Amino acid sequence: MTRALRHWAAVIAFVGPFLFMLLMFQYVPVARMLWDSLWDFALLNPDKRTFVGLGNYLDLFDDPDRRQAFLVTFGFAAGVVLTVIPVSFLVAVYLNGTLPARAIVRAVVFLPVVTSAVVIATMWTFLLDPNNGLINGALVILGLPKLAFLTSKAQALPSVIGMMLWQQTGFATVLFLSGLQGIPRDLEDAARVDGCSALQRLRHVVIPLLSRTTVFIVVIMTVFSLQAFAPALIMTSGGPEGTTNFVAFDIYQLAFSLQQPGLASAVSAVFMAVVMGISLVQMRLLRTRWTY
Amino acid sequence: MLRFATALLATALFAAPALAGDRSAPTADCPQGVLTLSVLKPLNNPPTPAMISAWESGNKCIKIALNEVPFGQLADKISVLAAATNPPDLLMFDGPNTQTYAAAGILLPLDKYFPAGLKDDIVAPTLAEHTYEGKIYSPGTQQASLALYYNADMLAPLGITPPKDLDKAWTWAQAIEAMKKCQKGEGDNVSVWGLAPSRFGNATPGFVFRDFLFVRTFGDPKAPPESSLYKTYWGISPDGKTAQGWLNTPEAVEGAKLFADLFNVHKITPKAGIPNAFQDKKACFTIDVSYFAAGLVNNDPGFKWGVTPLPYVRTPVVHTGSLTLGVTAKSTNPDEAAKFVIDVSTGKIAEDYNRAARALPAMKSIGARIEWLKEYPLNIFQEEVEKWGHPRPPSAHFAQYDKIVSDALRDIAYGADAKTRLDAAARAVQPLLAR
Amino acid sequence: MKRILPLLGAAVILVVILTIFLGPYAWIVASSFKPQFAIFRDLNPISWGTFIPANPTIENFIHLFANRGVGRALINSAIVSSCQVLGTLFLCSMAAYGLTRIRFKGAGIVFGIVLMTFLLPIESLMVPLFMHVSKLGMQDTLVGVFIPWIASPFGLFMLRQAFEDLPRELDEAATIDGAGHWRIFWSIVLPNVRTTLATLALVTFLFSWNAFLWPLVIIQSPKNQLIQLAIAQSVAIGQLPNWGETFAGATIATIPLIVLFLFLQRYFVRGIALTGVKG
Repeated sequence: MTRALRHWAAVIAFVGPFLFMLLMFQYVPVARMLWDSLWDFALLNPDKRTFVGLGNYLDLFDDPDRRQAFLVTFGFAAGVVLTVIPVSFLVAVYLNGTLPARAIVRAVVFLPVVTSAVVIATMWTFLLDPNNGLINGALVILGLPKLAFLTSKAQALPSVIGMMLWQQTGFATVLFLSGLQGIPRDLEDAARVDGCSALQRLRHVVIPLLSRTTVFIVVIMTVFSLQAFAPALIMTSGGPEGTTNFVAFDIYQLAFSLQQPGLASAVSAVFMAVVMGISLVQMRLLRTRWTY
Repeated sequence: MLRFATALLATALFAAPALAGDRSAPTADCPQGVLTLSVLKPLNNPPTPAMISAWESGNKCIKIALNEVPFGQLADKISVLAAATNPPDLLMFDGPNTQTYAAAGILLPLDKYFPAGLKDDIVAPTLAEHTYEGKIYSPGTQQASLALYYNADMLAPLGITPPKDLDKAWTWAQAIEAMKKCQKGEGDNVSVWGLAPSRFGNATPGFVFRDFLFVRTFGDPKAPPESSLYKTYWGISPDGKTAQGWLNTPEAVEGAKLFADLFNVHKITPKAGIPNAFQDKKACFTIDVSYFAAGLVNNDPGFKWGVTPLPYVRTPVVHTGSLTLGVTAKSTNPDEAAKFVIDVSTGKIAEDYNRAARALPAMKSIGARIEWLKEYPLNIFQEEVEKWGHPRPPSAHFAQYDKIVSDALRDIAYGADAKTRLDAAARAVQPLLAR
Repeated sequence: MKRILPLLGAAVILVVILTIFLGPYAWIVASSFKPQFAIFRDLNPISWGTFIPANPTIENFIHLFANRGVGRALINSAIVSSCQVLGTLFLCSMAAYGLTRIRFKGAGIVFGIVLMTFLLPIESLMVPLFMHVSKLGMQDTLVGVFIPWIASPFGLFMLRQAFEDLPRELDEAATIDGAGHWRIFWSIVLPNVRTTLATLALVTFLFSWNAFLWPLVIIQSPKNQLIQLAIAQSVAIGQLPNWGETFAGATIATIPLIVLFLFLQRYFVRGIALTGVKG
């Protein structure tokens, strides 16, 4: 065997399997999705299909239900990011103080992160049950009126955001905590010597130093939120009035329940483009050097 | 470590297809091996263990393997499985979906397996529901209709005696009056609801089989075919291709409002499900099928109960149609599967099931032998099927219509504007029907 | 007084945090040992009984294992997750080695191809992937559940980073000794990135065990049931759930991960911090 041959044999042996699987299970389906999005057919009978060109795309931009699904999904992501960041930051600051049971609290806060989306959604279905739920039980004890939660158009999405906040706080807290611990001690001490109050130190030293961590958490939380599926399937069926009809669930319903995999593929393609766009912007932000 | 990993991967890769065979090695009793027929069925529904073991004892070399899913997931599951390479041999599906599945080529027509006379034995609504383009796809194990169960111990002190005859059936105004009187507590502190929440479909309000009746009763089948009363009654055009102008008529909106008022104005029924609300004395009334009675007979709830015909507004109406067994077109064992379907849908196995489950027979011959079909309280269900019964809106896209209308009614119960929401449903379902 | 007040404040916050995060778990676990009527009764009003079963029963658990095939689902999930972990470690470490230790033309292109999929939302792939995997004959098989994900771009990134950080002198010395790529990979590089491998294994296991959407689409028959599907199936959609049983199922599905987490917390947190620090 010549040297060059051996070289390429090694490349193929090491990189080949990964690449093959990647092409096979990511690129081929993407191509198939783009192709299918040009057809009208039913999964029940996939061979009987009509070519519709860009018809599915026109339909989806024309259809208020599809537009709502996108709005709901991005609204959800925004809601999650805007609540997780401040809450997890406060918890991290609290945990960063001198606290006897810090390890235990950190573990407890982190528990929901390792719990599956299915179990969390199941749990919260019952926590939020308007008749026999734990949260309404607690509200009654506190002398407050019961809430309708998932059966109310106005409260359903906030309820699911609340659930997501509960689930993801631990994740973001751990990230903030490692960011906080990475802040040089002497920097804070210097600020203290200069007579800065705790609040001032937080504003002028800690927060600017954590901006990179914060951007990263924004990226991760956005990605997680855009993937939301289990809450819609298990808790709300996308309702009431489509207010929790996340795109992932919409795709599932369109393809399987409503038997429009062509339209579902078109929605998938648009979703993919939008998500990749958002991720690219966020990654670009992340790569920006933050000068302190 | 690596060798172990590869070994494990390889095992996983090759073991899986090996498990897929449906015929075991030959044994002394079964020279061809034991054949396993797979059935996809909803939980807590026939074929029951009793039916299966009765059949297996007569067919020693065939085993039945069940794949059970909650009723609300059944339609989705069938859609996925139908596209699969290895679908089950048998499906227990909702009768009104026969057209959908037959048109898509999922179901096998059973005409050639039907013994002489069987077709004539099937009750009229069942025969109509299970036929598509002249071919029959299932004999039917049961018929169904809805009536109003009540807790007699709760109503007696209030001096309320619900009617027992269809001719004297309550209107919804009367029924709501009774439910209001019987309810205990209000606002956040209801201890006994007037009407139990729906346990059908998704276990949320809106399931077409139950809740679309609030809409259809506002229509009138005897009105001229171009009138909106007529269209309201049917909910879809006769060719199954148009919902626009049928689903969202002014009368349909009225019906949907009445339905929503139960939750939001009268507040006699909760928006979220409560398991066993009626049996646990947390509700005075519940809308349910005849086989609900079997549960009350077998597990005495500790109170006297009764049944009254389903209330109506303009036209009394109930949906007929129930779960039924069919053979998949891709089944590799169609002969055996068809034999199972016919055996458990007819004769003694079906009769034993109908009797035990208090299910209305789909066979006239069985109906003639079951005495309680003619006696109060279960005669109400039988008479409703005969006098008030209509299939759910027939269409080759009923499964999709069902889902969209159910979601719309759920939203209306939760407080959505009835007209806007029905318009949206008609708009969403229209392109699907027209396909 | 001045000392006590902040301490008291910290204690109150502590209690609030613990209640919010542990309360739901306590309720679910306690309720899984109760019959349904007791779950409802103990909620009105909330008391100690809500969180501590008065007459615990394991009826719910027995029913799950005897009638709902939860035992089988647990075994299947364990098989799928283990295979996914092994497959991911295998493919990703090989590829990471190839990209960092063998200089070849087109490495940049390969990396670009991987980079693209990093941003791909898998939710958008489910329909075509379902049709594709079905065509390959892997629909409704355990293999079909994990095989599409073992070429994990995330895993490749993580390992590539770790491999880059490893001093090249190590393997250059080995090359001079006449060791081939395979030996360098196996006996020099891999042992030196053990912590990263462990972290990747853990994160992969977590995602695999908790995965829902893809298994829901690809798995149909009960013999291939996975634990998350079994739980989801017993909840609201489709029927009024038996609350006690559903809670028992949720408890069973969660315990393996919680145990794993408590013992290997270091790696979990490290994995997250790692991704956080490096971006």
